[in-house]
Amino acid sequence: MPLSSLDTSATDEELMEAYVGGNDGAFRLLFERYAPILLRLTRRHLRDEELAREIVQQTFFRLHGARNDFRRGSKLRPWVMTIAMNLVREHWRRKKRRKTVDLEVDTQPSPQPELTPMELRQRSELLYVALEKLPASQREVVELHWFQERPYAEVAEIVGTSEGAVRVRAHRAYATLKQLLVSEIRGDE
Amino acid sequence: MSDGTNRPDAALERLLELDPPAPAENGALFDQMFSEMKSKCEKSDRTLAGFLRSRSTMVRRSIVFSVFAALAIVGWYAFPLVDEQGRSAPWVASLIAFCVLMVVAMLMVTRPVHLPALPRWQAWLLVIMAVGATVVAAFWPLPAAQADAHAHDGGIMAGACMGVGLLLGVPVYALLRLVDRGNALGNLVAAAAAGVAGNFVLKAHCAVPGTAHELLGHASVAVLFVVGLGLVHRWIPSEKRA
Repeated sequence: MPLSSLDTSATDEELMEAYVGGNDGAFRLLFERYAPILLRLTRRHLRDEELAREIVQQTFFRLHGARNDFRRGSKLRPWVMTIAMNLVREHWRRKKRRKTVDLEVDTQPSPQPELTPMELRQRSELLYVALEKLPASQREVVELHWFQERPYAEVAEIVGTSEGAVRVRAHRAYATLKQLLVSEIRGDE
Repeated sequence: MSDGTNRPDAALERLLELDPPAPAENGALFDQMFSEMKSKCEKSDRTLAGFLRSRSTMVRRSIVFSVFAALAIVGWYAFPLVDEQGRSAPWVASLIAFCVLMVVAMLMVTRPVHLPALPRWQAWLLVIMAVGATVVAAFWPLPAAQADAHAHDGGIMAGACMGVGLLLGVPVYALLRLVDRGNALGNLVAAAAAGVAGNFVLKAHCAVPGTAHELLGHASVAVLFVVGLGLVHRWIPSEKRA
């Protein structure tokens, strides 16, 4: 649906339809809406500012390439989230592969200082530390369900599995997170 | 909060409080990110690959299918097929299996990026099946009766078949890479499809009998494509693209 004048109250889907129809300004508006959300998402996953920005840009680049697949009645948010999560997953796979090659170097004890729970709190790292200990499949469910506040059905659509499987992953992830955070705070580790 | 986001434990509400504040997100940062991304889009749109990748999935699949079909039809009628005697049930089964593998590879390579990425094992399975099918087909060579009618040296002809197979696979590989929006392992799947395409043509037209010939001259095409291009992509990682 081409917008005669750009309307900031237009829905995501209307903007996307306008962009498919050739309205570049609509793409700009979509970027303004989604880039901050995606940047926070990718920062939490990657903990690398530059890489997070790159993934956000890549997400929109892919969205641009896939624009002609967008159909009236489709929801845009799952599209954007799925593209971003695919890119994040691909990044972790590449990183894991490189890590396997560099195992000898990685077996050296890491020079991470022993942080007290208070220090962790002060540095706002506690959550990241706990999240990093989750398997990637559970972490992405927490990211989408918890931080992005998406319903289970939509999370399932984005990660490509059943709603039941997503619920199981979320349940396990929250249980693990709770356990990890409690133990960190008590200084059990 | 949307329906269905009931969090399992109220105590976990504190999680969000621990979420670190984001570094300064100002308009200038997003302006810069947008302009960089937009110029990349515009640059990509000016290329053939960018043009093809931005077609809808149905159009991309139609393009690939049409090119495959055109090549198959032209090849089928332009070059002599194996003799009537050679057109056995295993020969037909091999050709059908190669067609099915190429279609599956095409569907994988043209998978829309807004769908969850396929598990990598599926791509690996296709690659293994493609190479495996060419090897199995080599054990169904032309019947002995026809073999007696040929005095070719299978070993020498294997080199020629391999060359032809590799040559025929290149356009298939190139086409699949041109329509791939950036699927994981898309390069390997395209390489497997190229190998299978080469084998399809060789199986349909090559009259040189013998398992040894087919292993050296036909199945090797798929192996070379997969191993060669796989190694090239591993050593020279392709630029991030969509």
